[in-house]
Amino acid sequence: MMDQDELKKLQVHKSVDARGTACPGPLLAAKKAMGEINPGEVLEILSSDQGTKRDVPKWAQKKGHEYLGTVEESGYFTIYMKKR
Amino acid sequence: MEHKRMTIALFSGSLDKLTAAGIILSGAVADDYDVEIYVLLQGARAFMKDIAENTDELELAENQKLKGQFLESLEKLQVKPWLEFFREAKEMANVKVYICGLAGKVWGGEKLEDFVDLADDIVGIGECITSMEESDIHLFI
Repeated sequence: MMDQDELKKLQVHKSVDARGTACPGPLLAAKKAMGEINPGEVLEILSSDQGTKRDVPKWAQKKGHEYLGTVEESGYFTIYMKKR
Repeated sequence: MEHKRMTIALFSGSLDKLTAAGIILSGAVADDYDVEIYVLLQGARAFMKDIAENTDELELAENQKLKGQFLESLEKLQVKPWLEFFREAKEMANVKVYICGLAGKVWGGEKLEDFVDLADDIVGIGECITSMEESDIHLFI
């Protein structure tokens, strides 16, 4: 896991703004986006859905991707993952 | 990699249970499950072309008086109509929707064309049992 400063400095290859969509929107968005990047690249998901905060990191780990951490913003949060 | 399998026997034709089924289906698809959905009695009616997207034709499973609130909340929360969960899942993964032949007939749906375009085929209960038997997870909704 990276700390907040390291996360904010990451080079992100794909960013998906899933704010406003309810569960399971951000999870499906994460799956789709992960299919569009290459191994070793970083995906960020912006979400305001509380369920997503646990769901997406657990999904990433289950699928073998690297969950890097989550940054809290005002009214939403950003989840960082590296594709395996 | 061999995918895990989920089978859903979808009896309900109510807006709330169809929405729940759609969300469970989405979760399964995100987790790389192959999913077979066997649409039984009330469900088969809900999957008919003239009914699926008409919320006046479908009720809630419980607490009818909450239907207005339910539909308003879904819209405010930007939750898709139930059928869209099934559509998106089919676009993303190996998801099959089978209509029970008897159920279709009960509501006047004799042919595949009587149902929404998401329906893959009309089948009998034997296939449903075999699918459940072979699945990692099976649900009755």
